[in-house]
Amino acid sequence: MENKKSNTADRELIITRTLNAPVALVWEVWTQPEHITNWWGPNGFTNTIHVMDLQPGGKWDLVMHGPDGTDYNNSSLFKEVIPFKKIVYEHVSNPHFTATILFEAQGEQTIITWHMLFDSAEQFIGVVKAYKADKGLEQNVDKLELYLGQKISGKS
Amino acid sequence: MIERRDVFQAIADPTRRAIINMLAKEPLNVNAIAEGFDMSRQAISLHIKILEECDLLQIRKQGRERYCQAKLSQLSEVSVWVAQYRQHWENKLDKLETYLEQLKKQRNGKQKK
Repeated sequence: MENKKSNTADRELIITRTLNAPVALVWEVWTQPEHITNWWGPNGFTNTIHVMDLQPGGKWDLVMHGPDGTDYNNSSLFKEVIPFKKIVYEHVSNPHFTATILFEAQGEQTIITWHMLFDSAEQFIGVVKAYKADKGLEQNVDKLELYLGQKISGKS
Repeated sequence: MIERRDVFQAIADPTRRAIINMLAKEPLNVNAIAEGFDMSRQAISLHIKILEECDLLQIRKQGRERYCQAKLSQLSEVSVWVAQYRQHWENKLDKLETYLEQLKKQRNGKQKK
């Protein structure tokens, strides 16, 4: 007999962070396109959101623009939306996965839990492997991040 | 086309993952491994051959028996890569965190050093 946990352990990723902001602000920043474009995607990328229909069955089309000019289309469908508590979306473009984001208010802070569930261990391994192959790109991105950090600190 | 053997290829197959799990507990001979699966000994031998080529197990001959022993240290390569991929998502949260701080400062109309 397998329990649910051991069923998904080899094809999921769970990350948790306590954010130093109240849940209303975290929710706002997560759900409004003009905010999301400011933090989504790897360092050095910019984003364009074409559609973000935040309701069950709603479409979410986001294009990430890589530092080398490459565009990455991200198409998702929202599956579940509970204001200030939970967002579930299915990433329908490659790589296919289902993400569940939980928001938990803790006074002036918010615990955010990000759960990515892939279709199979095989697919997850493939994604990890592809990411490893992209590591060269990542180093360029790190450099750009440094540069941007300088720009931002110069401005404020 | 030349197939490159690596640890990812080794564990991409559920039967091979199951074999590694069996061998992680104790070294077994090929027959004992094959008994645990509903497939031909030939098919199991092929999986064992791939695992050996991927350097995830070594085969020792003991008399007429061939014993398979797991080389688990190789698996850490995978966990390192998973950790790197995980970092990719952690970075997203880093950016969210930074952005939230910026926004809070903006809205409070004050700047902290």
